[in-house]
Amino acid sequence: MRSSVIWTVATKDLRESAANSQVLLPVVILPIVFVVLYPVGLLIGLRWMSPTDAQDLIARIPRSALPGADEMSTQGQVAYLATVYLFAAFFLIIPAMVATVLAANSFAGEKERHTLEGVLYTPVTDTELVVGKIVGAVAPAIVFSWLCFVVYTILVDVLGAPLVGRVYFPTLNWWILMLLVVPAMSVFVTACVVWVSARVNTYQAANSIGGFAVLPAVLLVVGQVNGVMLVGPLLFTVLGVVLIGLDVVLVRWIVSSFDRERVVTSFL
Amino acid sequence: MSLAGVGRASAGTVAIEVAGLTRSFGGTPVLQGVDLSLPAGGVLGLLGPNGSGKTTTVRILTGVLRADHARTLRVLGHDLPAEIADVRPRIGVQTDTSLYDRLSALDNLAFFGRLYGMSRDEARTAASALLERFGLGERARHRVGAFSKGMKQKALIARALIADPELVFLDEPTAGLDPEAAHELMTYIHDVSRAEGRTFFITSHRLEEMEAVCTRVGVLSGGRVVAQGVPGEVARAVVPEVRVRVTAAPSAVLDLGAVRSIDGVVGVTATDDGARVELAERERIPRVVREIAALPVDLLGVAEEPPTLEEAYLRLVGASTPQPAPEEVTAR
Repeated sequence: MRSSVIWTVATKDLRESAANSQVLLPVVILPIVFVVLYPVGLLIGLRWMSPTDAQDLIARIPRSALPGADEMSTQGQVAYLATVYLFAAFFLIIPAMVATVLAANSFAGEKERHTLEGVLYTPVTDTELVVGKIVGAVAPAIVFSWLCFVVYTILVDVLGAPLVGRVYFPTLNWWILMLLVVPAMSVFVTACVVWVSARVNTYQAANSIGGFAVLPAVLLVVGQVNGVMLVGPLLFTVLGVVLIGLDVVLVRWIVSSFDRERVVTSFL
Repeated sequence: MSLAGVGRASAGTVAIEVAGLTRSFGGTPVLQGVDLSLPAGGVLGLLGPNGSGKTTTVRILTGVLRADHARTLRVLGHDLPAEIADVRPRIGVQTDTSLYDRLSALDNLAFFGRLYGMSRDEARTAASALLERFGLGERARHRVGAFSKGMKQKALIARALIADPELVFLDEPTAGLDPEAAHELMTYIHDVSRAEGRTFFITSHRLEEMEAVCTRVGVLSGGRVVAQGVPGEVARAVVPEVRVRVTAAPSAVLDLGAVRSIDGVVGVTATDDGARVELAERERIPRVVREIAALPVDLLGVAEEPPTLEEAYLRLVGASTPQPAPEEVTAR
């Protein structure tokens, strides 16, 4: 396996995606909504919120999830819960969506545009091709998520800290989320989409079917919003480790089941 | 850049050997026992109507499709599919695929060079030289999405040559090219094959071009190669009639009866400018030509009219469909 070839495949995919507005727009718009609009709107809106409005939500939250709650105002407690727990799940959707769009474009998109067959005649190995395409989707998904994390951290510290009464962000579960879970989730979603892409012929189909890989992250958001399940450091660590295990199995399986004939005959 | 390759197959070796190749799609047989042989350094033209299996043959020989069965399937001395990894670095392939529209022509070619293990600088240098060679030098840094079909076709062919391959597969390479560009490409293939010993495997419908450039042709019909060999010999083997074309001066009246009475003449057909004379044997041509030339009429020319590849092709393939598989013709 030649790393230079893997990198060549990945960077070519990145350059193509960066020049494609159909791919670029969802990649840019989604994080602006999740990272900027929602949190800013919430943290500003909290200043005019009546404390009684949030009592039900706060009552459902275990006190251990709100360190120093006694010194916080009701608005501060809501700000803490929202920024530490609620938006954490959004940060799983961002890499998942970015990886889905990029992976669908790089594999099914290439099939649709009849560019992939030419690559199959070259000495690139199945492993180099598949891993290159996964890297081409995963790397930007991770880097983009980390950039969003930096922006989000600044916004929370500027707008949330005055409500909570101290600089509290990022917490431990966020570090685990960004350094362990986001990369593992990106690989998992990408691998799923690459697997789907090998079996469908259009970017749209791969994007739509691959989008189901985002569902666990969406369920996590729902759980957080309802206060049913607050994901702390331990759960994030378990989630990350499980995802890494799944990633290894999935990528190996995709490489071993990759079949040039299947790709070529899908054009016929 | 010199396109002279290192490690070309030496003279006398065989670049492609195929025997008994079969392949079906969904129960429909496409190839039903293809036999092919191409010496290294030659240009093989594979002819055949649409759907006859030309592209399927190329895809099997380049390892992206598997054969259902083959007694022999060797490319550059390697058995396929087991040794395809040894073959891929030594071949270049152009089929009906697309370029990356959002990348420049230079980036398209350089990307493929990198897949062949070339360094970034090597790949870009080779890409620039090839684009220059194919008349795309000034547009090298433009996105190929804005190219005409002909320009894209040239870039695709250049892409197949990026790693200086020993064996080049070109599937309908002149499709989309204007006559001038098609002629230029065929001349290039001819020159490169002769000068550098590079081997080409070409499929095309343009019989005249193929006749001019190919050292061997094969005609694919009914899932089998029904004729293969040197183009002129294939044509003679398939079209056995011996013909002499007589061109008379515009105002002259050729006595067809007198021509018909010449010993060895089996038929005479009037043409716009004279007659086409059919002979029983080729050996009789000199004497018949002498006797026609002695007729009391102003003649502009009397010469043998050899059969063309197109005639042979049409006999082998034309009106073909429900016929039984024709007897194989081999002219070596």
